[in-house]
Amino acid sequence: MLAYIVRRLVFLPVVLFVLILMIFSLQMLLTPMQRLALYAPSPDYLKGGQTFIDSLIDLYGLNDPFHIQFGRWIGYIVRGNLGWSQTARMPVGTALGALFPATAELALFAMIPVVLGAIWLGTKAATHHDRLVDHSVRVFTILGWSFPTFVFGLLVLMIFYGSLRWFPPGRLSQWAVLEVSSASFQRYTGMNLIDAILNGNGRVLLDSLRHLVLPVITLAYVNWASMVRIMRSSMLETLQQDYVTTARAKGVKERVVENRHARRNALLPVTTVSGIIVAYLMGGVVITETIFDYHGLGRFAANAAANLDFPAVLGFALYFAVLLVFINLLVDLLYAYLDPRVKLG
Amino acid sequence: MRRWLFLSLVLLLIAGVTALGEVKNPGTLVFLWTSDLRTMDPAYVASTPGSYAPFNLYDRLLNYKGESIDEFIPGIASVVPSVENALITQAPDGRVFYTFPIQEGVYCHQVGVRAADGSIEWKYYDELSAAERKNIVPGFGEITAGDVKYSLMRAMLLGFSWMANAITAMMTGNDYPDVEAMALALSGAENLDDVDDATLIQVHDILSEKIVVKDNTVEIVLDKPFPATLGILALPFGASILDKEWAVAQGAWPGTADTWIDYFKPTLEENPLFSVENGSGPFMLEEWNRPEKKAVFKRFAGYFREPAKLERVVLRSVTEWTTRLLQLEAGDADVIATPVEFLDEVEAMEGVQVLRGLPMVSTTNTFFLWPVRNSGNAALGSGKLDGEGIPPDFFADIDVRKGFCYSMDYGVLIEQIHLGNTLQARGPTVKGIMGYREDSPVYSYDPEKAAEHFKKAYNGELWEKGFKLTGYYIAGITTWQSALQVLQQNLAMINPKFKIDIQGVQWSAFSDLLWGGDEPGAALIVCNWGPDYSDPGGPLGAASYYLDVNGAVAGFAGDGYRQLITEKFQPLLDQAWAMVDPAQREPIYAQLQAMSHEYATTLFMWQDYTYVVARDWVKGYTHNAITYGAWYFYPISKEE
Repeated sequence: MLAYIVRRLVFLPVVLFVLILMIFSLQMLLTPMQRLALYAPSPDYLKGGQTFIDSLIDLYGLNDPFHIQFGRWIGYIVRGNLGWSQTARMPVGTALGALFPATAELALFAMIPVVLGAIWLGTKAATHHDRLVDHSVRVFTILGWSFPTFVFGLLVLMIFYGSLRWFPPGRLSQWAVLEVSSASFQRYTGMNLIDAILNGNGRVLLDSLRHLVLPVITLAYVNWASMVRIMRSSMLETLQQDYVTTARAKGVKERVVENRHARRNALLPVTTVSGIIVAYLMGGVVITETIFDYHGLGRFAANAAANLDFPAVLGFALYFAVLLVFINLLVDLLYAYLDPRVKLG
Repeated sequence: MRRWLFLSLVLLLIAGVTALGEVKNPGTLVFLWTSDLRTMDPAYVASTPGSYAPFNLYDRLLNYKGESIDEFIPGIASVVPSVENALITQAPDGRVFYTFPIQEGVYCHQVGVRAADGSIEWKYYDELSAAERKNIVPGFGEITAGDVKYSLMRAMLLGFSWMANAITAMMTGNDYPDVEAMALALSGAENLDDVDDATLIQVHDILSEKIVVKDNTVEIVLDKPFPATLGILALPFGASILDKEWAVAQGAWPGTADTWIDYFKPTLEENPLFSVENGSGPFMLEEWNRPEKKAVFKRFAGYFREPAKLERVVLRSVTEWTTRLLQLEAGDADVIATPVEFLDEVEAMEGVQVLRGLPMVSTTNTFFLWPVRNSGNAALGSGKLDGEGIPPDFFADIDVRKGFCYSMDYGVLIEQIHLGNTLQARGPTVKGIMGYREDSPVYSYDPEKAAEHFKKAYNGELWEKGFKLTGYYIAGITTWQSALQVLQQNLAMINPKFKIDIQGVQWSAFSDLLWGGDEPGAALIVCNWGPDYSDPGGPLGAASYYLDVNGAVAGFAGDGYRQLITEKFQPLLDQAWAMVDPAQREPIYAQLQAMSHEYATTLFMWQDYTYVVARDWVKGYTHNAITYGAWYFYPISKEE
C-alpha cells in the first residue's frame, strides 16, 4: 500500500507543473493592457493618461517576455509563497490560509447531513421499493437536483431570514465578531463553531450555528440527489444478492439484514461520490457563499478569475489540484479498507 | 430520544434568535457595498471607493464645506486662506503665496511615548493614561507644519496615483504632470533609470522649495497662479496629512533628497503604509479583513474636534443584491448599495429612506474615436464605406458627428432610462462648475437635421451606402447599454442602412480597446469621465479632461481627435488657465463649452448622479458632488 501511495504522490509535481504552465500560457494570450485591468480595475485609475498607463505596464512587468514572467512567478513559489493577490490584497498563500477555515467549516458541516441523510433516504427508498416512501424520496431529491442553487438559496434566505429572522447571512453577527476578535477569545482553528466550543462560549457557538444553518441546508439539499440515487440503486442491487437471501432464509430479522448485511456493502459507491463532493465543497461553493455572504475559497477564486488576478488563480488551482489528489488517494484507501477484495498496488 | 434532541436544538436556536434579535447597537453603522478598499496609504489612492479610508482616517489642510464644491472649511489648517485674510498673496514677479497656519494640539491615532529606558514606543492615544500623555515625544504623533510638508512631498515623490500627481502639477505650475516627467525633462534622459543622481536631488529640491515651513505655518509658493490649489488640497487623496516620524518608523521614505527614488512608485505590496494607518481623522482603523473585504473604523476619542457620533463603521462588500436588501430590511445593515432599477422597491419599504438625484460632476457620453486601428478590427466591419463597415477615420467628418448627435433622443435618456433623476449634459462642464450656462446650445433629437448632416457627409456617399460599426460599453452597466440601443434604433429609423452592433465587454477588454495600441480599437464607446475639483482647468479639471491634448479623453480618442483639440481648443484652454480673475476666465470656459457643441467633439448625454439608500434612523449625510458621494462618517449618527 505504501508503494501505491508513493507512486500516486510522485505524479503530483508533474500534474501541478503542467497545470500551472497551462493556466499561465492562457493568461499570456491576453494583451498587457488587458492584464493591467487587475491593477487598474476601473476608468478612475487611468485618468493619468497614456504615459501613466505605460509606466504601470512597465512597473508590473506586463510587457516582459513569457519566460521572464513565468520565471518570476516560479521564483515566488521557490521563495515559499504563491505571489501577491490584488484581489485579496495579500500574499496568495496567506489569503488561502485565511479563507480555508471558513470553507472547511462549511464543508465539514455540510457533509454530515449530506452523507447521513443520503444513506438514510437511499436505504429507505430501496427497502420501500416502488412504494410511497420510495416515490416521495425520488421526487424530493429530484426536486433538489432541479433547483438551481441560487434559487433555492435565495428562497430559504427570504423565508428563514427575510420573514422569520431566524438564520442571518454572513459567518457571525456583528456583536459576535467583536467578541471573537477580543483578546479573551482564543483562535485555535479559525472555524467559529469549533473555536466557540473550545473557548466554552455558548453565545458565539449559537450564533455561529445560526449562520451555518442555511448554507448547510442548501448544500445538503442540492447534493442529496446524486448521493441518494446511488445509495438507493446500490442498496437495491445488494438486497438482491444471494447472501442477503440466505440471511433472510435463516430467519435473520429484516432490520439486521438491511443494516448489517446489505447497507455496509451498498456504501462502497457512496464512498466514491462522497470523495467527489468533499473535494467540490472544499474547493469552495461560489453561489452558496455569495448568497449567504460567506467569505470562503470559492468566492475568492471566482473574484480572482473575474479580476484576472492570475497569481491568485494559479495559487487556487495548485491548492485544488493537491486537494483532489489527496482526496482521491484517501477514497482509494477507504475503498480498500471497506472492501477486502480490493487490493492496492 | 433523537426527536427530543432535535427539538431541543431547534428551540435553543429560536431562543437564541429571540434573545439576540433584540440586541441593537445604535453606535455602529453597517455599510454594505459592492466595492472594496485598496490601501490605507492616502498617497496611493486613486478611486472613489478607495477614498473612504483616507477621507475618514486622515485629515487634510482643508475640507469641502458641506455640499459646496468650491468653498472650504478649516481642517488641519486653522484658517482657510483667502485674498481677503491676506493668506493668499501675489508678489510683483507673479509668484503666489498660500499660507496655512496649522492647528495646535492635533494628535494622530498613535503617538510616540518615551519609555522608561528612553526608547520611543508607539501607542494608541486613546489608551494613554494622563501620565503617559505627558510623556508624548513632541512631534511624534502630533501634527506639525513639518508633517504637512513631508506628506505633500511624499505624495508627489511616490508618484503612483494620478491624484497625488496633481499636487506635482500644481507645484510646478502645470509644467510637469508628475515627478517622472519632471526628472526626464530636467535630465534629458529617456528612462528614469538613466536619470543621474544630481537631477533626482534637483527634482526633490525644486519641489521642496515650494513648501516652506515657518514656525507652525506652511507656505506654498507657486511660480504662477494655479486656480485649483485649494480644491486639490481639500481632496481626500494624496493631500491627506501623515505623521512623518510614524511613517518613517514604518519604513516609508525618510524625507531625504537622495533617497526618494528608492521609494518611487512601489507596488501595493512593497508599500510599507499599504495596510497601516496613523491619521488624525475622526476614525481609526480597527480591522481590515482583506480576504473578506471588510473594514471596521472605530471612533477616535482624541480627535481634535468633538469625537464622531458613531462608535464604529463597518464597511462590508456584499455582492448579492437580495442579501443586502434583506439585511437592510432586518435592520442588520444601515446603508446599502442599490441598483437603480430597485429604487422604487426600496423606497416603498417601511423604515427606509432614499435620497435621489444627488449630482456628481462627471458626465456619461458617447465618444467618437478616430482614426481607429484598421488591421483585422471587427469594430470597423469591412473597414470601408461600403455599407458593411466604416473607414478608420469615420468620425473625422464633422457631419457624421453632428448626425450622430441629432440622432440621440435625450428625452428618452433622461425621462425613461434615468426616470428624471438627472439633466442632459451640455458639454464637458456640469452644473456648478465655471463655464456652465443654462442657455448654452445643446443637441436635441431631430431626425431631419440628422438626415441633413448624414446626406452631406462623405459627399453623399454615406447616405447612399450606409454604414455598420460596433459600439462598446462596459458589460453590466445597463444605462450605457440602453443609451447605445436608443442610438441604434434612431439611426436605423433615419436610414435603414445605418447599423450599429452593440457589444458589452469586460473592463479589461474595454481598456484594451482604448489604450491597447498606438491607435484606439473602437470608433464608438460609451463611458463617463469627470473632474476632481471645481475649476474647469488644470490637470484634473472638467474642460481639461475633454479638451486638453494631454487630457484623459484625448489620451484614448485618437490622433484625429487630438489634432482637432490642438487646433481649436488648446489655445483658449491655455489662455483661460493663465488668467487669475474668474470673471475673465468664465466666458472663455463658456465659449469652450459652446465650441464642444459646435464641433460635436463628443455626444454629451447626461450628468451623472447618485443616490443613497439607508435606514431612516441614519442622519447627517451630506452629499458633495466633487467627492462623488463618498461618505464622510464624522457627522453621521443613528437616531431612532
